[in-house]
Amino acid sequence: MPESALAIIPAFNEAAVIASTLDELRRALPHVDLLVVDDGSRDETASIAKAHGARVLTLPFNLGIGGALRTGFRWAIASGYTSAFQFDADGQHDPAEVPALLAPLATGVNLVVGSRFQQAGGYTVGRVRRGAMGSLRIMLRLLLRRSFTDTSSGFRAFDRPMMQFFATNYPAEYMESVEALFLACSEGFSVAEIPVQMRARAGGAPSNRRLRLGYHFVRLHLVLLASARRRRVPVVLSGDAG
Amino acid sequence: MSARAHILVLLATLLSLALIVRQVRLRRLRAKYALLWLLVALALTPLALAPGLLDASADLVGIAYGPALLLVIGFAFFALLSLHFSYELSRLEERARALAEETALMRERLEALEGERTNAEDHGERIDTWTVHS
Repeated sequence: MPESALAIIPAFNEAAVIASTLDELRRALPHVDLLVVDDGSRDETASIAKAHGARVLTLPFNLGIGGALRTGFRWAIASGYTSAFQFDADGQHDPAEVPALLAPLATGVNLVVGSRFQQAGGYTVGRVRRGAMGSLRIMLRLLLRRSFTDTSSGFRAFDRPMMQFFATNYPAEYMESVEALFLACSEGFSVAEIPVQMRARAGGAPSNRRLRLGYHFVRLHLVLLASARRRRVPVVLSGDAG
Repeated sequence: MSARAHILVLLATLLSLALIVRQVRLRRLRAKYALLWLLVALALTPLALAPGLLDASADLVGIAYGPALLLVIGFAFFALLSLHFSYELSRLEERARALAEETALMRERLEALEGERTNAEDHGERIDTWTVHS
């Protein structure tokens, strides 16, 4: 069983930035294993990632970040990893923050969320997006009776039980991070939030198309409301010998 | 209804029946859907043959205008059908997703195994030469 943590890096057409992201991770964290989940890229993302020392899972078509993560979790579970973290391919996350992100896992926390908003300065988002995030935050607070400052952060660390749950239950659609956070909390997993610094994206387009955001905003409220009173049975993965 | 319109409707009904049968024979439609559309065609055939039937049955349930009954039933039928298709689509999407994940995992495993094998072969050759030379 690997002692080290696994970096799960979903990548969709990130050929321009994946190399520097991987190199930087490798330099800052020599003991972390790198897993790139190529989410149906049409460019050289997969081969570049391979050349830069990452294991690569290649999806036959684009599943979105949720599907890519789920595949990553399944691989991590099958390979025996006890902890992993989600890391952006486009250089938005700072490798120097990873140890702080992983630290709470040792104290029994199942899911650690790196929050952009807990400390002053650093990260700014557009007005529409900020409004949507605010509304979702309030919704989560009402449903879960606890508050998070950053519900859509993609900088997260997972322990093994969390990965086992997410390997089959990770939500698949856009803005899945909010839903995942909600699921983890309502299933009784221990969730912690820590402040992190994030950088502007190094490449790739930010996903801020308004109509799409609007649609998923409505969809998310529906999903959250609908699942608020539903209990799920614990998931047992077959072939999970470690 | 004039005799000409009558013949036209009858032809249309027969044509759709023939189309469905053809699709089934070519195995383009799965039996359960074929059955569904055949039933629809069969239900419409008597109406085409005897237009009076529609008005009579509308009268029976208390609807004054015959075609309105057809519209109500037709609308309900298609609403239910598209609901069913949404359900089927959701299920298919989920399955396609699971399959995509599975192929990614298997591909990685296969490549890892191929790598191991190549390494083992290289290693085996080296040991052989070493034994020969000593």
